[in-house]
Amino acid sequence: MISAELGRVAGFSVVMAALATVLMFPPGIALAWLLARRPFPGRAVVETLVSLPLVLPPVATGLILLRLFGRRGPIGRVLDEIGLDVVFTWKAVVIAMAVMGFPLFVRAARSGFEHVDQRYEQIASTLGASPIRVFLTISLPLAGRGVMAGVVLGFSRALGEFGATVMIAGTLPGSRTLSTAIYSFTQTGQDGPATVLLCVAAGIAFAAIFVSNRLGATG
Amino acid sequence: MCASRISLLVVCLGLGGCDSGPSGDGGEQLVVSAAVSVSDALTTVSDAYARVSGVDVLLNVAGSDTLATQLINGARADLFLSADHRQMDRAEEAGRILTSTRVDLLTNQLVAVVTTDRAHTASGIDDLLQAPWVRYVAMGDPDAVPAGVYAQRYLRSVGLWDAVQSKVVPTRDVRAVLAAVESGNAEVGVIYRTDLAVATMVRVAFAVPVHEGPRIRYPVAVVADGRNEAAAQRFLSFLRRPEARRIFEAAGFIMMGEAS
Repeated sequence: MISAELGRVAGFSVVMAALATVLMFPPGIALAWLLARRPFPGRAVVETLVSLPLVLPPVATGLILLRLFGRRGPIGRVLDEIGLDVVFTWKAVVIAMAVMGFPLFVRAARSGFEHVDQRYEQIASTLGASPIRVFLTISLPLAGRGVMAGVVLGFSRALGEFGATVMIAGTLPGSRTLSTAIYSFTQTGQDGPATVLLCVAAGIAFAAIFVSNRLGATG
Repeated sequence: MCASRISLLVVCLGLGGCDSGPSGDGGEQLVVSAAVSVSDALTTVSDAYARVSGVDVLLNVAGSDTLATQLINGARADLFLSADHRQMDRAEEAGRILTSTRVDLLTNQLVAVVTTDRAHTASGIDDLLQAPWVRYVAMGDPDAVPAGVYAQRYLRSVGLWDAVQSKVVPTRDVRAVLAAVESGNAEVGVIYRTDLAVATMVRVAFAVPVHEGPRIRYPVAVVADGRNEAAAQRFLSFLRRPEARRIFEAAGFIMMGEAS
């Protein structure tokens, strides 16, 4: 019974972290590329905003998300009208994870783009490739290592996320992640299950970093 | 290309696998936001309720301040069980609970604990807290955590707060108090009597007499615009019945009288 619950929590966390990574990928890539390549007005402000979740206490980020996505918040109100509940559901988990992982993803991906030799892109353009094609066939593959590192960092941060998650997703059985489950178990003195989850979390983190290092070595 | 197909797959799996949410499978469900200090006993009560009613009670457990903030921002829950009046008041002022359903359910008692290997026997709270070997006193943050609010109120009432204040280590929750005492980082911790259930290495050095201590009250109320007010009200009534009373009292709580 309890081990089934632990397995469910571990699986749920991995799927949610993966979803969060998928969610941060398109805007993250676009932003990383912009920051690396296109000086635009207000860039410093955007850079700072993106890094904010890294520096803010996670609980504060959680509070901001709760204010935005709560049924009385500006986004939550709109979603509520179309019958979509965020707070206390798995969607809240994904949002909290994505927001917290986003800065790390953007930072790594950006440095990936910065290390791409721009001459290759220019050559492709002179040969008639469209900007989109240049991006997809030259820039992105050459920035692959940085992007991959970003994916792993973002995913790992998402998996470990606690402060914002507990605020917006609560500790309900249906939205319990590895982190919030460990919290709940220690709060109620169930050190056994907490320790098991601790080992699971450590194992997943180890695997993620191991795989990313291997990717780095061969890629 | 391949990567995007994989991500699409992940999205589909994710959405399919997790869509059950709090309103998913058939049977009736209630979401109860409950303070950490009652969660253990409430889990047992919920199991008992599930057996007699078939209603599945889902607990959202956190500090009462967090729970109130969630409710104020529109989080969906059916019942709110707070560890103090202040947080319940916040929810009530925001119009998030049905005032007519609010009732004091439980009371608790403050105890000062030390590790079991300490031989000291205290004749009073001043004797204990002002003993030279006591460098730190761990308690819930008096600005936010109910257990700390009560502890501060009690120490003020006996005129000890000013003398002890510099020794106080405020913590996020009672569990952190126990951790601080058990690890030897604080010599004394102030917790609820009910928290002794999760403690293994501490013993009570001084128990604040119930009639002298602050009035510790756990109010409960049905949340406004919940999905199922009638079911929430039924569970609230169950909380005050003998079956539930036995469980709460076994955990060290004192039930409030019938008058409300």
